[in-house]
Amino acid sequence: MPVGVPKERIQGRNPWYLAWLRLRRNKVALGCGVLFILIVLFCLAAPLWADHVAHTGPNDNHITDTVSIGGVDTDVVAPDGTPLGPGLHARYLLGADQNGRDVMVRLLYGGRTSIYIGAAAALVTTVLAVIVALLAGYYRGWMDAVLSRILDVIWAFPVLLLGIALGTALAVGGLNLGVLSIAGDSIWIPILIIGLVYVPYMARPLRGEILALREKEFVEAAVAQGMGPLRIMTGELLPNIISTVIVFFTLNIANNMLLESALSFLGAGVRPPNASWGTMISDGYQLIYTAPHLTIVPGLLIVVTVLTLNVFGDGLRDALDPKARIRLEH
Amino acid sequence: MLAAVGATACGKDSGSGGSSGGGGGGDITIDATSFPDYIDPQLSYTLEGWEVLWNVYTPLLTYKHAKGKEGTEIVPGLAEKMPDVSPDGKTYKLKLRPNMKYSDGTPIKASDFTYAIQRLFKANSGGSVFYTVIVGAQDYADGKADKISGITTNDSTGDITIELTGPNGTFENLLGLMFAAPVPPTTKLDGDVTNNPPPSSGPFVISKVDAPRSLIMEKNPQFKTVKDAGATDVADAGVDKITLVQNKNQSAQVTDIAQNKVDFMIDPVPADRLQEVKSRYPNRFRMEESINTYYFFMNTQKAPFNDLKVRQAINYAVDPEALNRIFGGRMHPTQQILPPGMPGYQEYKPYPADINKAKQLIAEANPADRDITVWTDDEPDRKRIGEYYQNLLTQLGFNATLKVIAGDVYWATIGNQSTPDVDTGFADWFQDFPHPDDFFRPLLNGKSILPTNGNNFSRVNLPDLDAKMNELLTKQITDPGVEQQYADLDKAFMEQAVWAPYGNEQFTTFLSERMDFDKSYQHLLFKQDFSSFAVK
Repeated sequence: MPVGVPKERIQGRNPWYLAWLRLRRNKVALGCGVLFILIVLFCLAAPLWADHVAHTGPNDNHITDTVSIGGVDTDVVAPDGTPLGPGLHARYLLGADQNGRDVMVRLLYGGRTSIYIGAAAALVTTVLAVIVALLAGYYRGWMDAVLSRILDVIWAFPVLLLGIALGTALAVGGLNLGVLSIAGDSIWIPILIIGLVYVPYMARPLRGEILALREKEFVEAAVAQGMGPLRIMTGELLPNIISTVIVFFTLNIANNMLLESALSFLGAGVRPPNASWGTMISDGYQLIYTAPHLTIVPGLLIVVTVLTLNVFGDGLRDALDPKARIRLEH
Repeated sequence: MLAAVGATACGKDSGSGGSSGGGGGGDITIDATSFPDYIDPQLSYTLEGWEVLWNVYTPLLTYKHAKGKEGTEIVPGLAEKMPDVSPDGKTYKLKLRPNMKYSDGTPIKASDFTYAIQRLFKANSGGSVFYTVIVGAQDYADGKADKISGITTNDSTGDITIELTGPNGTFENLLGLMFAAPVPPTTKLDGDVTNNPPPSSGPFVISKVDAPRSLIMEKNPQFKTVKDAGATDVADAGVDKITLVQNKNQSAQVTDIAQNKVDFMIDPVPADRLQEVKSRYPNRFRMEESINTYYFFMNTQKAPFNDLKVRQAINYAVDPEALNRIFGGRMHPTQQILPPGMPGYQEYKPYPADINKAKQLIAEANPADRDITVWTDDEPDRKRIGEYYQNLLTQLGFNATLKVIAGDVYWATIGNQSTPDVDTGFADWFQDFPHPDDFFRPLLNGKSILPTNGNNFSRVNLPDLDAKMNELLTKQITDPGVEQQYADLDKAFMEQAVWAPYGNEQFTTFLSERMDFDKSYQHLLFKQDFSSFAVK
């Protein structure tokens, strides 16, 4: 046996496992990922808090009710309209708003809504962006020209303005496209709007990758073997961009949550009385001078959640492809 | 009239830095949460709109520029004197003062009054319902005539003669409303002129409109012609320029005034800042009385509110005290149409708050259609009222959806018959003139169900009560027994639970330091009298 050849068989490593090892070494990214999961679990526990601790729902008004604090019956909303402030009591831990609603309960339910919208919209964006990128990148020619121009039109609108315009237009009458009918107050309205406006931001870089991969030999070989376009796109091209898609998906959730909170703050996102972190900032804005926590707490949660997602997403990008230059620019 | 309560004003312009001499003048900035519905004297029917327009367009008669009850006295405006009324109460003769000019120098003519009344009908004004008492007005409105036969004018003498279909105890009041303010015939007849308002006949002229963000009012250079013609009861402008700006954040408005960046806010101080402002700025803050009713309308023409038991259930369920707390304690609880201070008001409580009784009535009614759309506008307290009401309806077993729309377009939206799903929602009404007919006719008369700009949001159509309303209109409010009959009419409508009224709101005045606090006052009909603004 030649010198230097090891006696044991060298085990091959799955690229996903290698990525996991790289991610594990990035303690900050991993920590942020864990923190994000904790935030999600915390928000998912909203019904538990509402039923067993606060004993109220997120939209239940208790304007003339009282709550026992330290053995003293205290108005949830005083006769002069001042709501109960935060304190160390299970009910109304973060105080009440001017409708007598439990702020902590609304914060948890609001988090569920904001994260759900962020993730669902990211899924919408991803599906649409991948389809557009594959079609444009594989077929090129007129298909690429048409799809790229559509993306350019959407891209040309500032994301926030486009979101506000669509949100306001669909809020009253909803969306009616034949078989597809969505009420104006449905959560799917902001999901679809946010999902749509971010499609160019994901589709364009993916299209670039597809265009590059299209010229590779393995694609030529697949064509020579008689594989159809659908099989080539799904079997050859898509697996090669999946790591990019995963990173974009993660980063996109963060952007979507920011856009949702902006739209809801401006009244074009989640419809009242439902809570999201954006609507809570808007509701608390009127009380910024006397009860700043109503605005600051949901705002801080948005910051922390978006930050953890961005850091985790960056770590994921480095882990999946250290040479990647993926950025979700906007 | 309605109140979107607050146009938003975000004015931080140079207005607040203007001169302030003892002889008057200066530029001021005021904040509003919602922009006026229309800058159009024939169309505007909100408190915000009339507050702006009262000192811009002068009708033939007007109201005294005075605080309290004195301000409800009718006095001559563009007319030389109070009308000569025929013994049968059906003919009114007035004479226009001579040599008056609009702000653009155009002469004010007697026929301009006729044109204004014609605009009411052609532009589908919510105020048109008051003026169908003029002979020929209904035919004109229906397109059967090309002029209103009951109004004759002579531009060379200034004579105006108005024939009514019957005696009307409120007609002088109606002549004092914005609706009847003469406008030149160059004004668009059949549409809104907000973006290009007609020239002014009052102390101010609207010099710039950037709806819904801002507008500017400046001293009318031709107002001297009105004063010189003898209109001494029409007040002069106390400042040179008023800039009204929209600001959706009422708390920020308070801070701007406290810091003297803005001079006045049209809306009341929000509940959470009330105690602070009362204690820190007592010398530039006061509470103000107002004659108004806040209520939830219920569309009586469609399910489930076409069922009396459901409407009564809502009345039992609504807790006026809860809504009072949303208003920071500024709401006097009520459960009736007429407010305190209105002739014919007699306090009674037909539906004491009882959620269990409400649930029992709903169970008895067992409505098949439980999908309800609740409407409100986006001003902070209105939004909270809407959320309270939506939650209440949910507790009663309805599937209630809340629709929040901008205050600038709220009334036009719910007053439009073609808007779908106008089931129930927030509404209010401020007296136009001190007569109970003002609360019944535009809000509860079957003829007030208009295709657009309607104010009968509950779509109430009770012919017996309409007949009673019409009978009472032919009498004077001071006639024996008339006030009691209006009180009975109030009870009759509430037995039908046409509304769910809950309160009468108090307003506030909060001014910047440089404003003359004692000169400024709130008029009982038009709220803040802009002609009373003066810089120290």
